[in-house]
Amino acid sequence: MSLLEVSSLTKRFGGLLALDDVSLTVEENEIRGLIGPNGAGKSTLFKNIAGFHKPTKGAIAFQGQSIVGQKPHTIAEMGIVRTFQETTLFQELTVFDNALVGTHMTAKTDVFSAILGLDKAVQRRARKKVMEVLDFMGLADRKDQLASELPLGSQRALALSVALVSGPKLMLMDEPFAGMNAEETNHMMDLTRKVRETGVTIVLVEHDMKAVMGLCSYLTVLNFGQVLAEGTPDEVRNNENVIEAYLSGAK
Amino acid sequence: MSDQGRFNLRHAALGAALLVIVVSVPHFLKFHHQDLLIFLTINVLVVCSYRLVTLTGEWSLIHAVMLGVGAYAATLSHNHLGLEIWFTLPLAGLTGALVAALLCFPLLRMTQFYFLIGSFAAGEAIRLIWVEWVSVFGGTSGLRGVEAPVVWGIDFLDPIPYYYFCLAVVTLCLLILYRIENSRIGLTLHAIHWKAALAESVGVDAWKYRALAFIIGSFFAAIAGGLKIHYLGSVTPNQFTIGFMVFILIWVIVGGYNKFYGPIIGVVVLTIFDESIREFEIVRPAIYGGMLILSILFLPLGLESIPSKFRSWFGAGSTPSEPPLTDR
Amino acid sequence: MDLVLQSIVNGLIQGGFYSLFAIGLVLIFGVMRVVNFAHGELVMVGAFTIWVVHAQFGIGYIPAIAVAIVLVTVIGLLMERVLFRPTRADPLAGLICSIGVLFILQVIATLVGGDGPSKQVPPPYHGTLVLFEMIRIPYQRVFSLVVSAAALGGLWFFLTRSKFGWALRAVAMDREVAALQGINTNKISIVAISVGAALAGLAGGLVAPLGNINPHMGHNVIVTAFIVTIVGGVGSLSGAILAAILYAMFHTFVTVYFGATIATIAGLTLMVVVLIVKPTGIMGVKVSE
Repeated sequence: MSLLEVSSLTKRFGGLLALDDVSLTVEENEIRGLIGPNGAGKSTLFKNIAGFHKPTKGAIAFQGQSIVGQKPHTIAEMGIVRTFQETTLFQELTVFDNALVGTHMTAKTDVFSAILGLDKAVQRRARKKVMEVLDFMGLADRKDQLASELPLGSQRALALSVALVSGPKLMLMDEPFAGMNAEETNHMMDLTRKVRETGVTIVLVEHDMKAVMGLCSYLTVLNFGQVLAEGTPDEVRNNENVIEAYLSGAK
Repeated sequence: MSDQGRFNLRHAALGAALLVIVVSVPHFLKFHHQDLLIFLTINVLVVCSYRLVTLTGEWSLIHAVMLGVGAYAATLSHNHLGLEIWFTLPLAGLTGALVAALLCFPLLRMTQFYFLIGSFAAGEAIRLIWVEWVSVFGGTSGLRGVEAPVVWGIDFLDPIPYYYFCLAVVTLCLLILYRIENSRIGLTLHAIHWKAALAESVGVDAWKYRALAFIIGSFFAAIAGGLKIHYLGSVTPNQFTIGFMVFILIWVIVGGYNKFYGPIIGVVVLTIFDESIREFEIVRPAIYGGMLILSILFLPLGLESIPSKFRSWFGAGSTPSEPPLTDR
Repeated sequence: MDLVLQSIVNGLIQGGFYSLFAIGLVLIFGVMRVVNFAHGELVMVGAFTIWVVHAQFGIGYIPAIAVAIVLVTVIGLLMERVLFRPTRADPLAGLICSIGVLFILQVIATLVGGDGPSKQVPPPYHGTLVLFEMIRIPYQRVFSLVVSAAALGGLWFFLTRSKFGWALRAVAMDREVAALQGINTNKISIVAISVGAALAGLAGGLVAPLGNINPHMGHNVIVTAFIVTIVGGVGSLSGAILAAILYAMFHTFVTVYFGATIATIAGLTLMVVVLIVKPTGIMGVKVSE
């Protein structure tokens, strides 16, 4: 059984067909790249998987269980966590508190425990976990800074930390390399590999071809809401349909 | 976060001074001002409970009506069941929480502008039910008969004992509100405010937490309503109009809603100010209106932000970074 | 049967009146994204002006309405320039400022009129129009209906035929896109608040001889305007007019059979239901944020 199975997924916005009969499967512990020209439906696919949109038709199964129509927080509890395009963080909170929000699923509490402090042990564990992840991501010495004060590279690392600390099985990363310079990109690639080594499966939407080709073992190419090609980076690079789609997109 | 728990002399001194002031202050006041002090104490609870509702970023216009829900619950349970204040207050709070819980289903489907208008409509409808249903709620002239009891020879209708009683109840409630805001729940509410989608992506059920803040805020608003009505002795629908709601907004906004103590500063300062312009009875609302406008235009973070503004003007070292939102 | 017909006619007259201020609220929200809580007070100021200029100083009713319109428009323009424009980044700030204005206008009205009982303006038009020997409409109300209809017709003409009207609708649909197309959004805001305030002033002028005038009469106006605006659809002018007429009929009927308070409770409930079931209102289009 594959970790994630998307079959014949269709999403229609009014007259626009954003996803048209898309099927793909993601295996445990791979880094899957999802590429395609702008407007190909990559982000829409993410939003459907993570429950932010409801598909018009089709099925999504995670670990053999259907997740279509579930709310985002329920899907997160099943183990799918997404990161967002650009830098979506709690800008007004500290680095530590940002990551602490990520521990919500293991550390949530009820009103009475909160008032009486009965959840102390749970919260202490959550903070410990946060420190481990911040250490792992190289953000430990910035933990008391506001998220808005971080440089771009650190903000992306923090976004990844927020997702990672929640303990996902599958992480959907939406353009984590956008706007980064070469050095930041290399650093982020290392971090992504490290995350995978902890046993997390990753699906990556990205335009930065160097990062995608360097990280992913297998790619899915979307174009106009349909799967255009699938294969290893080399296969995809030499696929004529793909080349044509990118060239026409580049015009 | 290491500051937490460490004995801090300055804070302890500040706390002790505050304690001395709040305990001794009624003895220096005239009867009329003692009355005012009681309402001020109750209004501190009103603004703090309102702030909890706004933590998720949604501004409601039904908070004043929630006070009324508590006030009517206290009055009715006193008049019909013969309950004393010790029981009517928790009952008032629970009634407020229950009404809020029921209202969650329609109201929390909306956000922002729609929530604001929706909460206004729901509140106005509840208020008009009190006006219309004369046999239960007494119509526009309301209900009378509820008053504080005499216990061990202490008459709680006397302002000083009642003030101490209010002080105790309000302090307990503030403590609870403070604990909630500085717990994991408070962190989650802040997270929903700043980026609801990100919070949801790590498993936060945003609807549930919005509902929680609304219900808890209404619980304490209703307790404040009960406290008020036991002192006033009668309740009418006109005590909980949009006019009173506007005062709550003014206190919270002028004081500053980013910090726990901001609204408290707002209600204390404005109550003292209000008393000092009493002779201008007719123009008082206009002065308030003007102040509201000026503070929005020139002091959007409220009175609470003045000290840090001063610090940055005079460059007394770097401004301290935000205190952590969670208690470690 | 008489009662039903009479109620329909009364509802129609009332609906025309509701439309005048509901449309202003829609225009101001549409163009500036500000909920003008002081809109009821603008109507109140209009009515008070009639009381001062017509009933106290004895100047004619029609010139008094003109004065009311000009005065309220000036107040609206001041609000736009001093309050709404600087706080545009934060819609809540504009709303709260308008609450401040509400207080100030109420106090000014109290100072002008004194703290006494509600004021009355004797109707300048006497007599009653009798239709089919069963529907009775005082001429004062006939006048109100005719003027409301004319004003709404004029507004419709302005919005659909003039360059400003076209630009105004474009801004209401999407401010940023409109700005990109070279529309001066500040100018359009001024037009929107002028039209909205002028209609509120006119509404005040029309209602003055028909009811009690007091500094707090704006409350019922704003409650009604909210209900009408939400039910009609926040972004929709035609929706607001339709909802105003339907709600006025609904309110008139429920008042006749159950009383005015029940009618308002029912209206508020209806509004909450619309907010839940169809937040865009009966005629609404989705408002872009």
